[in-house]
Amino acid sequence: MKSLPSALRQGLIRCDECGALAQRGAASRPCPVCGSSLHARIPNSLQRTLAFLLCGYALYVPANIYPIMTVTQFGVGETHTILGGILTLIEGDMLPIAILVFIASILVPLLKLIGLSLLWLCVFYRWQVNARRWTLMYRIIAFVGRWSMLDIFMISILISLVDLGGVAQVLAGPAATAFASVVVITLFAAKNFDPRLIWDNQKI
Amino acid sequence: MNDEFSYETQDTSLNKKAELPLVWLLPICAFIVSGWLIYKSASEKGPVITIDFPTAEGLEIDKTKIRYLDVEIGKVTDININQDAKTIQVTAQMHHTAENYLNQNTSFWVVRPQVGLAGISGLNTLISGAYIEVKPGDGPHQHHFTGLPAAPVLKTEAKGRQFVLETANLGSLGPRTQINFHGIPVGEVLTQELSVHADSIRLVIFIKAPYDQFVRKNTRFWKDSGIDLSAGADGFKVRTGPLVSMLSGGIAFRTPPDDTVKDVKPEYAMFHLYDTYEQSTQIEYRNTLKYVMYFNGSVRGLTEGAPVQLRGIPIGAVTGISLELDAKTADIRIPVTVDLEPDRIKEINKQPNVSNKDMMSRLISKGLRAQLQTGSLLTGQLLVDLDFHPNSKVALHSNNSPYQEFPTIPSSLDQFTHAAQTIMDKIAKLPLNELTTEMNSTLKSLQVTSKAANGMLTDAKQTMGSADKSLQSADQLLRSLEPGSTTRHEIDKLLLELNQSANSVKQLTDYLEQHPEALLRGKDDE
Repeated sequence: MKSLPSALRQGLIRCDECGALAQRGAASRPCPVCGSSLHARIPNSLQRTLAFLLCGYALYVPANIYPIMTVTQFGVGETHTILGGILTLIEGDMLPIAILVFIASILVPLLKLIGLSLLWLCVFYRWQVNARRWTLMYRIIAFVGRWSMLDIFMISILISLVDLGGVAQVLAGPAATAFASVVVITLFAAKNFDPRLIWDNQKI
Repeated sequence: MNDEFSYETQDTSLNKKAELPLVWLLPICAFIVSGWLIYKSASEKGPVITIDFPTAEGLEIDKTKIRYLDVEIGKVTDININQDAKTIQVTAQMHHTAENYLNQNTSFWVVRPQVGLAGISGLNTLISGAYIEVKPGDGPHQHHFTGLPAAPVLKTEAKGRQFVLETANLGSLGPRTQINFHGIPVGEVLTQELSVHADSIRLVIFIKAPYDQFVRKNTRFWKDSGIDLSAGADGFKVRTGPLVSMLSGGIAFRTPPDDTVKDVKPEYAMFHLYDTYEQSTQIEYRNTLKYVMYFNGSVRGLTEGAPVQLRGIPIGAVTGISLELDAKTADIRIPVTVDLEPDRIKEINKQPNVSNKDMMSRLISKGLRAQLQTGSLLTGQLLVDLDFHPNSKVALHSNNSPYQEFPTIPSSLDQFTHAAQTIMDKIAKLPLNELTTEMNSTLKSLQVTSKAANGMLTDAKQTMGSADKSLQSADQLLRSLEPGSTTRHEIDKLLLELNQSANSVKQLTDYLEQHPEALLRGKDDE
């Protein structure tokens, strides 16, 4: 690990678009191959990540306390929050589905937010960590993020399928919007985080 | 190395002095939105209340709603059994708009489907499940309530007033019993309770506006249940209330037209509930005179409540009948107490300073007497009839009752029996034996007379025989004159000839009249 010098240290900058290596020079010099602007690291990576993270945290709260959907049967509406839905599933002896929904809807977004926060803290405070492991964590976070949309998919399918007027109807609640936003925002946060910064901070 | 490192930090995103990127607007928006959402839900959350109910039938945690006028204002969040293990306690999260309703007199009850004579209600709860309904009340604010076991009669703040009815017998009446005014349902019985002395039942009733304006001074309430069949001199009469009242009982009221708006009764005014329509139509007289009457003979058929009539018009009623034994003289007599209502008699030429009692004494001195009369031949019911018998004496008894005695005369039946007795006595006294002997001799002489008559009859028979013979010869004569007989033919011929001769005489006379000279000169030969 220690023997591996970074490209930056060798005076090279990798183009984010085409992957071509260029000589490090003036900050705003364009890529000689594709012409896009060259950055040694994602510009304002930490600020952006932090902004998206805070945004995600802010939306995570209403996503969990508000009803994600309203099931109307014979004119009587019944609202479900994410957690309430999981409890209903458990009561209905559908434990595997409950676990699945719990992981996809609660655990994954939360772990994503916490993981990214940890990564951010790690870079900001220049924690000396096992960079390889932390990068692995980043990769997992970046990969798993899209699967959190499971809940939203389910609700959108239910809304279009169960529309029997007065007999039964499913409506998305405010939490659905918030939840979808959390997933998208965390995707952005992960995208804007530059894992190379973890390596940069490691004092060899 | 150090130099490079410092460069890196400067160049890369670690530089905190870099310009504020637009991306920061995003978390600001997110915070504002979620903060507002949280604030909204927190501010919309009303108080948590607890309600005691006798049973949790149909109630479900997180599903059962609390509604007012079918608008959801809360939700059941918990159901527990109370410490006394007899009732349950429902914990409910109320909406913040419900805050104003949570007062001491606010009532809660569970709406379940109900099917009754008065209709079907709460049918929607069959599908949606039971819910808790609220009726807001006044009083101090509070968060613990005791639920009603059944829906109150007045679910909403309907305009109207409450009154109290008093009755001795509830019958089929009860809460929710309909009250009709000229057949219009205008109210309901709210509650029933025993009076303090347990001698009557008090019904609190509610009359909707504007009909409450018709509950006035002389308003009469009566039980309108079932079918009222009565037979009178003008035939049979059937009176029925509305169908619902016929099936489940009802109350009706009526206000005489004399009552004006000024006589409108205040709320919680007390009224008597009459048992029948007939009773309610009778005018109530407060001014009564009590008398005691001693009747000779049996009073079988006379009951308490039997009318006292003056020449057929009721002016009072019998209030008591008892039996008295005079220990000294071993006399048994029957004092009958009556209530007379002198106000029923319209007075003309009214004298001041003359009380009803004085007036009654004057009437008695003029010969007013009481007499038992048969009211109905079918049932043998007796009534007390007052009338003037100026020739009868006032026969007063030693009166032990607190009331004045009213003189009586024996009943007409008694009088009849008495007269019949006298006649029978007279018949018994007749000399029947002598009469028979006399009759016998008379009959014998009659026999002699009839024998003589018999001889006379034989003579008459002979006379009749000769008369028969003369009639027979007359008949023969008449028969010879019958058409077809020789005599008749000859007579006819004779008559014809006579006719012809008469004609020739007529011709002759006519001719002579025209030619009188023919008598002298003979017939002209022309």
